[in-house]
Amino acid sequence: MSIEEQYRKRAMELLSGGAVKMVIGYGRGSNAERRRPVFISSPEEVNRLVLDEACIANLSGYLVNEGLLSDEKRVAVFLRPEGIRAINILAAESQLDAEQIVIFGFDVSGNEVKALKGIHVEEFEDVIGAIKEHAPEMGNEELLEKIEQMNPQERFAFWKEEFAKCIKCYACRQACPMCYCRRCIVDSNQPQWVNTSSHSLGNFEWNIVRAFHLSGRCVECGNCDRACPVNIPLRLINHRMAQEVLKSFDHFAGMSKTQEPVLASFKKDDSETFIL
Amino acid sequence: MKIVARHDEAPGVKTLRLEFQEPAEHEYFKKTYRTGMFGLYGVYGEGESTFCVASPETRKDYIECTFRQSGRVTSALANADIGDLITFRGPYGNRFPIEDFHGKNLLFISGGIALPPTRSVIWSCLDQREKFGKVTIVYGARTVADLVYKHELEEWQERSDVDLVLTVDPGGESPDWKHRVGFVPTVLEEAAPSPDNCIAVICGPPIMIKFTLISLKKLGFDEANVYTTLENRMKCGVGKCGRCNVGSVYVCKEGPVFTAAEVSRMPAADL
Amino acid sequence: MTKILFSDKLDKCVERWKSAGLTVMGPVQRANIKTYAAVEHASEFDFGLILTDRSIKDLFFPQTEPMLRYTIKKDAINTDECLPPREQRIIFGARACDASGMAIDDPLFGWDYKDEYWFQRRNESVIVTIACTNADEFCMCTSLKMAPDSTKGSDVLLRPLENSKGWQVEELTERGREAFKTIADLLQEGSDTAAPVAAVAEKFDLDACVAWLQNPENFDSKFWKEISMRCIGCASCTYLCPTCHCFDIQDEGDTYSGIRRKNWDSCSFALFTLHTSGHNPRSTQSARWRQRIMHKFNYFPSKFNANSCSGCGRCSRECPVDMGITETLQEISKLSQ
Repeated sequence: MSIEEQYRKRAMELLSGGAVKMVIGYGRGSNAERRRPVFISSPEEVNRLVLDEACIANLSGYLVNEGLLSDEKRVAVFLRPEGIRAINILAAESQLDAEQIVIFGFDVSGNEVKALKGIHVEEFEDVIGAIKEHAPEMGNEELLEKIEQMNPQERFAFWKEEFAKCIKCYACRQACPMCYCRRCIVDSNQPQWVNTSSHSLGNFEWNIVRAFHLSGRCVECGNCDRACPVNIPLRLINHRMAQEVLKSFDHFAGMSKTQEPVLASFKKDDSETFIL
Repeated sequence: MKIVARHDEAPGVKTLRLEFQEPAEHEYFKKTYRTGMFGLYGVYGEGESTFCVASPETRKDYIECTFRQSGRVTSALANADIGDLITFRGPYGNRFPIEDFHGKNLLFISGGIALPPTRSVIWSCLDQREKFGKVTIVYGARTVADLVYKHELEEWQERSDVDLVLTVDPGGESPDWKHRVGFVPTVLEEAAPSPDNCIAVICGPPIMIKFTLISLKKLGFDEANVYTTLENRMKCGVGKCGRCNVGSVYVCKEGPVFTAAEVSRMPAADL
Repeated sequence: MTKILFSDKLDKCVERWKSAGLTVMGPVQRANIKTYAAVEHASEFDFGLILTDRSIKDLFFPQTEPMLRYTIKKDAINTDECLPPREQRIIFGARACDASGMAIDDPLFGWDYKDEYWFQRRNESVIVTIACTNADEFCMCTSLKMAPDSTKGSDVLLRPLENSKGWQVEELTERGREAFKTIADLLQEGSDTAAPVAAVAEKFDLDACVAWLQNPENFDSKFWKEISMRCIGCASCTYLCPTCHCFDIQDEGDTYSGIRRKNWDSCSFALFTLHTSGHNPRSTQSARWRQRIMHKFNYFPSKFNANSCSGCGRCSRECPVDMGITETLQEISKLSQ
């Protein structure tokens, strides 16, 4: 039985038994290459679920949609390792109760889809640990290397050109499972922290603020990158920040549901003196 | 425009009186302003905020506006001093057809911070009192402190040609509160004004309007004789920016004054 | 015999227009984005694109633009209105959907109060449209009763020659004729045939959809929630749309001086309609998606006599979660059968 068939069967069982109220997965999209999120609430619909190498989007963001989990019922969701890491962070940041999440884990390498064993988020810690040791290729290593070789002026010029394209549609934010704030800092105007205008300064402010807010939290799922309608390689920024956080604090985001947020936790015996 | 007077109405609620600095602008206002219209009041560096002109069309030497300090612009307006300059764009929108009310009884119903638009109509009528029949005002707020235009409420209370019914929500009364306690729709039904030859003007939060319309229907009011204003969020005020739309209606251009019959044709869920 | 502009003359045309004081713009690929931009040479154009990522709207209604500058002194507020800089432009190689999108918005921007920012740019621009000979699966002009060679909003229509050596020229407006007078001697009479326009499949029954949308009973249909469940509430569909025109007005500066700007805004944002009181007329994403569809195919046509959609398909092409007008109207077509 293919993984797709196995997971459809499992979805059917969970939905008919009432163990979960909904399965969030992938369905066929508007063309052969596309998959789209689908929300299955009845066993009759499980055949709409698709699982293949084109299932890339991180669906974990839907779990924090207003009201979805407030009835304390369980929801199942198709997740790649990055999505599972996102669940850990959302749980660690008290955005959801990991007990309510039933995971249909899978990973894609090349054209092959393999199932990840487990149901609850704790069961995937080994998988995540392995990623920490051997990060999978993102496919943009060449550009990353090129940017690393640049001097600060060149790098600034590179990002200036990229950010000039930004139209502040906030697709990056809306697609990001970590951007769950009910009122984003750019939507707060007392004080007006960030210019709302999509000019050079406003675009820099927005993209830099977002990079900082995601430091130590980004799971590098690539949702922002793929969502960006003007093709800004947003993932590179977050990847670089993740590398910094790993190097400085040995913090790999989303290791467990009890992992302390790296930039929001304090220790009295911190070797640095700047906090206490 | 220059702020010539300011008054604290209720916690967080202020009234500003503004005078024109440019004679040409004042002339334009005098020529165009009719009760029901709105304007965009602004402080450069903060932005503009939309609210009605709270002063009546019978008094055009100045503009009064009443607002709750809430966002960036209203905070700046609230913090402005007498003598400070602020901006006004308008008047925009349609109006209450006051001439059509001549010879009729008038029922004004209002809740909380929505008295200002009603007040503009009330004074426009009271300033030519002889042209109208019986005048009844039903006004309620959450608490006694939240009632606005307290000095004018007293004035209306004392007038023999105005019937004023005041109420506060249960729990909002003070020890010396002598008026009604209860929600506006309930109090309205108890007061039971006659729908005969009567025009009703209601302004309030969407939820109050919804239930008041039900009460008015019960009392026998025809939707065509009930007027209200829609206070949607606006930015341009001239039918371009798109945010005030309810169904196919651009509130800024086709409103803000509508009859209940017109409102009932709008998609209720988008109000 | 028809008037023909051969591709090898285009660089000369660009030069000619430039020396006549025109800014020459057209479809280009720059910094990994396909967009309309000013060019120095014809070689910068990319006519192979089915459609640019960004719509032509950018050139008439930019994402952010100054409205006025203010300075405040003790007893006076001084303001300077900032109209766009004067610039005569020729946009060479627009698509019919983009050009018609601009014409669709004209009545809105001209409704009662005339939007000077819009009309100054409209009046200073010549749009030269190239009929499409290729389309992708997201193109849907024909479903909107338009075509790859629609002339609405265009000043000149060019039809690519079958031999790929140039274009047949159809001058449509006085403004178009005027701009092409400058290059009259570079045009030739010829009998080269035009390539057939792209075959764009009809994807939905527009009339049936409109009738369904106009039926008040369907406003509260559970369809809206189902179709928009995966919508993440970003503004990429509205910002890439040639006809979406909503905007915000924001001040930037301090108590002494600054600038008031007009910025794109979107009905898909929760804050778009949020009242001060906390009440939000469109508090759910499904209500916001319904508004977008209703506005385009029910409300806007009732006021301005045209659908607020020209069928470019960018909303579906670029949606991060594979939604879009096409899918929604296809589903409505099914419902109305």
